[in-house]
Amino acid sequence: MSLNTVTRAWALLLALSAASTGLAVAVTGGHITGAALSATGVAILILAWAKARLILNAYLRLTEAPAFRRGFGLTLALYAALLLALYLAA
Amino acid sequence: MSEAASPFDELPGDLMIWVLIVSELLVFGAGLAAFLAVRLTDPVGFAEAQDHLHRTGAGINTIVLVTSGWLAALGAQATETGRIGRARACLAAAAALGLVFLAVKWVEYVDKAAQGIGVETHPFFTFYYLITGFHAAHVAAGVIVLALVAARAHPREVEAGAAFWHMVDLVWILVFPVIYLLR
Repeated sequence: MSLNTVTRAWALLLALSAASTGLAVAVTGGHITGAALSATGVAILILAWAKARLILNAYLRLTEAPAFRRGFGLTLALYAALLLALYLAA
Repeated sequence: MSEAASPFDELPGDLMIWVLIVSELLVFGAGLAAFLAVRLTDPVGFAEAQDHLHRTGAGINTIVLVTSGWLAALGAQATETGRIGRARACLAAAAALGLVFLAVKWVEYVDKAAQGIGVETHPFFTFYYLITGFHAAHVAAGVIVLALVAARAHPREVEAGAAFWHMVDLVWILVFPVIYLLR
């Protein structure tokens, strides 16, 4: 794990967190409804999935363990799909 | 005679810290899935309850925790390369940001109490207090762990402490959008 790897991951995490907060603030107030609101929720969950992958791979260094990276990646993807299904079912 | 290689040898850090990480992820993961499942019974009530939360404050706390995780990772790197002073400074800064996170969380809870919002106000708040409170307890534990491993500055211990802190970070990355952001 190089210094650049964790610093790049940190910068990306900040950008993704700002994007998800911005999306949530934009839909506050009830101006956006229906499919557009659901699309925002889907985008927020995809951003969370991307951030979780970054923490696992860069901060927790799973890039050094490819088999475990794939296993954690698959489990995380399935879990994100479950959350997405529960969100969209409401 | 040399020991046979285990597939777990590939994992960075101690196997036991990964067992802890997976256990914690399962607990929080189940909590968040249950939150979204209960939300199905009253989506409007959950949305109204969520409007009492401060999204920007939680967004700031996300930046605080992500930055703290970055500092913990830098501290672990510095310990491995024998730069003990830098390692201690990074780990102390990571722990200090953990305290900032807890202070923001405290303000958030005080604000809810002032609004008369408690655990039994609505199922949303039952989950909110349960999940964010349990996470805050992990942050408090993590601050103590970071302080302890910074004092000893032993590479293996610092790696385990930093891994615990990254788990706390990872959990918040999932808690934040599900509880605070999803409409």
